[in-house]
Amino acid sequence: MKSVKHHSTLSRLALFSLAFLLFFSVNLSAQEANAANGEKLYKSVCAACHKLDKKLIGPALKGITEKRDQEWLIKWIKDSPGLIKSGDKLAIQVFEENNKLPMTANPQLSDQDILDILEYTKGEPVVKEVAATQEVDPGVELGKKIYKANCAACHKLEGNLIGPPLLKIGDKYETEWLKAWIKDNNALVASGDKLAKEVQDSNPAAMTPFLHLSDEDIDNVLKYLAVGDVKAQPAVATGADTKIFENPKFGVWPTLGLTILAFLLLAMIVAATTNRVVVEGEESTPSMLKTILFNPFLRFLSVIFFLLLGAWLLFGWLMQIDVNEGYQPIQPIAFSHAVHAGDNKIDCQYCHSSAKNSKTSGIPSANVCMNCHKSITEYNGELFGDYSKEDLDGEIQKIYDAVGWDKDKLEYIEGAEEKPIEWVRIHNLADFAYYNHSQHVTVAGLDCQKCHGPVEEMHDMYQFSPLTMDWCITCHRETEVDMTENGYYKNIHDQLAKKYGVEKVTAAQMGGLECGKCHY
Amino acid sequence: MASNKKYWKSVEELNENSSIVDTLKHNEFVEEIPTNEFLGDKENLESSSTTRRDFLKYVGFTTAAASLAACEGPVVKSIPYVIKPDDIIPGVADYYATTIADGFDFANVLVKVREGRPIKIEPNKDANGSTNARVQASVLSLYDSNRLKAPKAKGAEISWSDADSQIVSKLNEVKAAGLPIAVLTGTCASPSTKKLVGKLNETFENVNHVIYDAISESPALDAFEAMYGERALPDYNLDKADVVVSIGADFLGDWQGGGFSAGYAKGRIPSEGKMSHHVQFESNMSLSGANADKRILVKPSEQNLALIKLFNAVVKGISTREASPLNDAILKAANQIKKAGSKAIVLTGIQDKNAQLLALAINKFINSEVIDVVKTKNIRKGNDAAVAQLIADMNAGKVGAVIINNSNPVYTLPNSADFVEGLKKVKLSIACSTQDNETVNAVEYGLATPHYLESWGDVMIKKGEFSLMQPTINPLFNTRQFQDSLLKWTGSSISYYDFLKESSAEILEGKSWNQVLHDGVFNSTVIPSEEIEVSEIEVDIDAAGSELAKIKGSDFELALYTKVAMGDGQMANNPWLQELPDPITRTTWDNYLTMSKADADALGVVNYNVANGALNGSLVEISVDGVSETLPVYVQPGQAKGSLGLALGYGRSNGLKEEMQTGKNAYQFYKDYNNFQSNVSVKVVAGEHEFACIQLHNTLMGRGDIVKETTLETYNDHSLNPRKTWNKVPVVSLDHNEVEASTVDLWDEFDRSVGHHFNLSIDLNSCTGCGACVIACNAENNVPVVGKDEMRKSRDMHWLRIDRYYSHEESFAEDVEKKEAGTGVMGYKNTMAELEDASENPSVAFQPVMCQHCNHAPCETVCPVAATSHGRQGQNHMAYNRCVGTRYCANNCPYKVRRFNWFQYPNNNEFDYNMNDDLGKMVLNPDVTVRSRGVMEKCSMCIQMTQATILKAKKEGRPVDANEFETACSNACSTGAMMFGDINKKEDTITSLVNDTRAYHLLEHVGTKPNVVYQVKVKNTQEA
Repeated sequence: MKSVKHHSTLSRLALFSLAFLLFFSVNLSAQEANAANGEKLYKSVCAACHKLDKKLIGPALKGITEKRDQEWLIKWIKDSPGLIKSGDKLAIQVFEENNKLPMTANPQLSDQDILDILEYTKGEPVVKEVAATQEVDPGVELGKKIYKANCAACHKLEGNLIGPPLLKIGDKYETEWLKAWIKDNNALVASGDKLAKEVQDSNPAAMTPFLHLSDEDIDNVLKYLAVGDVKAQPAVATGADTKIFENPKFGVWPTLGLTILAFLLLAMIVAATTNRVVVEGEESTPSMLKTILFNPFLRFLSVIFFLLLGAWLLFGWLMQIDVNEGYQPIQPIAFSHAVHAGDNKIDCQYCHSSAKNSKTSGIPSANVCMNCHKSITEYNGELFGDYSKEDLDGEIQKIYDAVGWDKDKLEYIEGAEEKPIEWVRIHNLADFAYYNHSQHVTVAGLDCQKCHGPVEEMHDMYQFSPLTMDWCITCHRETEVDMTENGYYKNIHDQLAKKYGVEKVTAAQMGGLECGKCHY
Repeated sequence: MASNKKYWKSVEELNENSSIVDTLKHNEFVEEIPTNEFLGDKENLESSSTTRRDFLKYVGFTTAAASLAACEGPVVKSIPYVIKPDDIIPGVADYYATTIADGFDFANVLVKVREGRPIKIEPNKDANGSTNARVQASVLSLYDSNRLKAPKAKGAEISWSDADSQIVSKLNEVKAAGLPIAVLTGTCASPSTKKLVGKLNETFENVNHVIYDAISESPALDAFEAMYGERALPDYNLDKADVVVSIGADFLGDWQGGGFSAGYAKGRIPSEGKMSHHVQFESNMSLSGANADKRILVKPSEQNLALIKLFNAVVKGISTREASPLNDAILKAANQIKKAGSKAIVLTGIQDKNAQLLALAINKFINSEVIDVVKTKNIRKGNDAAVAQLIADMNAGKVGAVIINNSNPVYTLPNSADFVEGLKKVKLSIACSTQDNETVNAVEYGLATPHYLESWGDVMIKKGEFSLMQPTINPLFNTRQFQDSLLKWTGSSISYYDFLKESSAEILEGKSWNQVLHDGVFNSTVIPSEEIEVSEIEVDIDAAGSELAKIKGSDFELALYTKVAMGDGQMANNPWLQELPDPITRTTWDNYLTMSKADADALGVVNYNVANGALNGSLVEISVDGVSETLPVYVQPGQAKGSLGLALGYGRSNGLKEEMQTGKNAYQFYKDYNNFQSNVSVKVVAGEHEFACIQLHNTLMGRGDIVKETTLETYNDHSLNPRKTWNKVPVVSLDHNEVEASTVDLWDEFDRSVGHHFNLSIDLNSCTGCGACVIACNAENNVPVVGKDEMRKSRDMHWLRIDRYYSHEESFAEDVEKKEAGTGVMGYKNTMAELEDASENPSVAFQPVMCQHCNHAPCETVCPVAATSHGRQGQNHMAYNRCVGTRYCANNCPYKVRRFNWFQYPNNNEFDYNMNDDLGKMVLNPDVTVRSRGVMEKCSMCIQMTQATILKAKKEGRPVDANEFETACSNACSTGAMMFGDINKKEDTITSLVNDTRAYHLLEHVGTKPNVVYQVKVKNTQEA
């Protein structure tokens, strides 16, 4: 029977669509459940003290499974103090290594949970730090810690700050004298020590006595000062920056694909059913394209379809004009938010201090930079981008040029011309739209990241959100206003709850969609 | 069916054999196209490598490239401070308390400063400050691009050090020659400046400080001195007055420095059945006259007579028996005064010492509580005699040096030519000035001084009230304060700031300088007690009276006055003020001669509207004692027959943009500093003048649902139901029953009980029409200035206008009666035609109208793009970025409050006002969009202010305080006529106002349910 052939068209079609669906589903299920769960747990349980690739409070966890036995790790994570008490040698060693900072016990985690977490720590590409494998005296690390806590405010390893540079200070003075000097330099001077008098006179700023430091502490500091910072090798660009914040960017293509698919399906069904009548009795099986071309209804349908499609595509294209999502201009200074907000955990509002008071978040003035950069004159962190250390030190110098600061003399150059830093504005909201940061930061209590994305991971800042009206009002529609904390809402809350019969009220219900609230 | 008709172009065509027709048939173009001209140059054409096809390609490509490139946004720079000042948070306004003292206006103000630039002036209400239109607009004068920007010597720029050394050496020369040095200043009321002039006297000896007011109050000062021994002006607490009788005193305008409207308005709001009674005798229609309960037309010269008669009737108890309307009115006024006793007050604006003495004597006789002779005012100190003496001395070569500060005598003096002549005879002439004015260009050294918003200073507006002036911005130009100059010339090395701090320490009674600077004012705790008897000198009042009676009148008399916009003319380069419609004539960008209808008819002078609605008027030439000038005539209802009015302050040209050089200089007629001039002759001349008058309709034509007016008597009659009688609510028929229009609805009503619901109340009783709200609105909302030509076409952009209505009858109530009495088609037509003419002495009503923010807004329903929509808080929103400019909304608005941007007003040389240069743009409010061409705009009920108030409360986690919401207009209103608030908040004053028996909505029968509510005007017509 000839109708079998028609059947085959339909079955081919079915196969085709099946393949299409399969293709999509395969795409979607690419991630394993194991590591995903691990990641979630890791973020909630471990991330406060550990990072994958570098030391935070606890050691870096990347590749920990290669270093330690799995069984031991489970025990350790569940109850590390217990393990130490039980006298486990490895446990005690780890404890010692990490400055005797005890790790929180996590008895709530099941074995499977822990395995998931370990899986997650494995999954990330491993960056092997050369420095980590080198044999380093633990005293150096300890010394560095003490140095950072007590000495770094006034001394640098190289170059003057308030006090003189301290690198290899042990070569210059005797250890015993240094100990006495550090502990109580005033007493040493009073005791009539000539050297002490000399040193004190050489620097106008008096040094604080550090009576609380033990001899051992000072030994460690001196050990550290003898070596200095062991320079870490530039990190290999991992290329696997986490994408958790990224907006799904499918664009119009999946929808377009689906629509075309739907159209084809429809066309085939129509073709299949109409063909049966038209072609019955003939030998040849007409191709699908021919069917569409010769069927007046289908021709009409396709014309309409392509017209609509064209209009829709054009509209979509026009709508994205001047939507500058991802806009990442080159700034006059290679300022890295990842270094400041990420590595150094500086609060956003420390620099963008007007966000809580004003409609603008405020680009920090150079004097805010100077609060820290008076003493941080060089970059010692991990390198990023194509910048060498010299490049980045040069970037810091740009602040000094702007404010007129002499980093060697550590004072403002008198009469120096102030040169404002001309940043390139990234978030350009149109003038006819009014936006107020303080409303969102202070009143609503939103995180900056909600709109600005993972700023703490951006070396070069870019526009994360589209800043379109659609984007604004979608958020207003979804966001519930917390009326319980703020005294302003007390009265309105009771009335509104009664009016809408719901306990929670969205920003939109509060009038957040009215034109005049943002356009005046 | 084909037509057989034959069409022909010329008769020749009808001739079938004509050769011409044949030729024409084959020749499409009668004239040869000059193709040879551009194609004939074959050589050039062939050598060109660009073919036609290439050319099209290039055009196509460049057009495509340009349009593609246009899709890319520009790179915007963001430049933060290098070192941010501690007190500035970008985006948050700071307020500084300071004081304006420009010699004409004195007020305690708050200055709103954004990112270091002052953008708005507000009254400092904690310091009893109130602002008029000029004070509100003074912020724009700071950014005047025509200001004097650097010191000049003989027209050429000079450095301060050179100027100083030259001036000091010349001063020493003068000192050596033994000649006096004259310091000529406007009233400065600054104790520290007085000290510095004294210091100058110590250094150079023989320094004579002459104070000169452009608009003189010298007779009043002389009279007060004669009576109370102190050369100052008494204060009048008009809120205490039950009866106010004014003879020619425009105390709601600039009389004696102004500032009386707040007190006056308090007494004008009927409470407990009482309000003050105000009788005004005057010749020009002034603001005070417009607000009076009874206004009597009196020619300037007859005002003297009226005053004498009033004095006789009140003090002596005698009156002439002759019966005349004036006599009658005076008797009635005298009776009122007698009845009110100490709660009455007599004010006079006659610039004659004897007249002022009479008024003081009446007030003293009735022991008036209203006049305050103890806490006197220092805001006018000018001495006419001293000025006249100085000019005489200068011309006699008896003056060595003249140092002028904050005064423009070359422009304002009636005998300016003498002064200029005299300047040539002095060894050294210096003018310290903010503006590049006439005087600066006539003297040797023109020294640039900073604007008051860039200056330090102190002002003693009133005895015991010490205000400080502080800079709110770094000096924009190379300027130096007059006081700093004085310090420099006297060899002192300290700055004026230090000097001021030191010198005010003794006044501040131990209070901290910073606190006073923060408050803006320091009120002395040592209250001058009533017990301290001011030295009283016996004055022969009778002699004064008989002296006054000798003044003779003439057929035509000229009464010079100042407009609320222009004042004495020092802010003539301020486009906001130029474009502020005069409250009475509603005319902008001009001064003109006001004339009564009777006189105009007699002279054949006309005012008429041309096709586009603009007003044109005849020209006349007037001459006063040999000085003549051609002036346009504005026919003014309520002008006394035989009197003419002319505004001072116009006709300036130096240091003004071309557009601002408007009107004619009236100071040339200001002989002997007298605002009343007789011996005026008027002659009609050819030609006509184009006014920019923005109100076509002068009378209300009996439309009682626009302005409602009633009498105190009716208001107090509790047997009447106000909603049925004097505050009649319009009714409509519903189901064959008469119901109130406001109860019938075409639309569903929203529930507006939740959250805020804003309302604005406007009290027609306390609105004096001063126009401060209009300027405040301009400043707050970036309202563009459109210029005289556009104003003529009624394309004004003011979001807030103050309509002024005259009555055809004596009062508006009678208008309505008359209109309703007109029966039949012809009767009605005739009545309406009649009603169009204002009466000889009409009743006047002022009505501020802005967007009424209708709950059922007709504009919203017709917008095809939904650019105007309604907010839940009662505000009618306007999204400019959505508007496509169809103007349907404006057509559908019953109140005509929507404004269309016919042009791109900013950055346009055709509109070279403040928005066309970087300096002028500094005044713009960054929280309000600057509108572009082709969009509608209108009052937003200052949504940026209400939103800011809400946000402030949210940030502080508290409910909004009572009466915390404000709009620019309600904030600027010194009389309290405009009250803004949230009607869902019981504590707000507005809540009681919207439910008041006087409350009504404009055109209530339309059913728009506006959120602006008016209060019925009540007149106190009770006559004793």
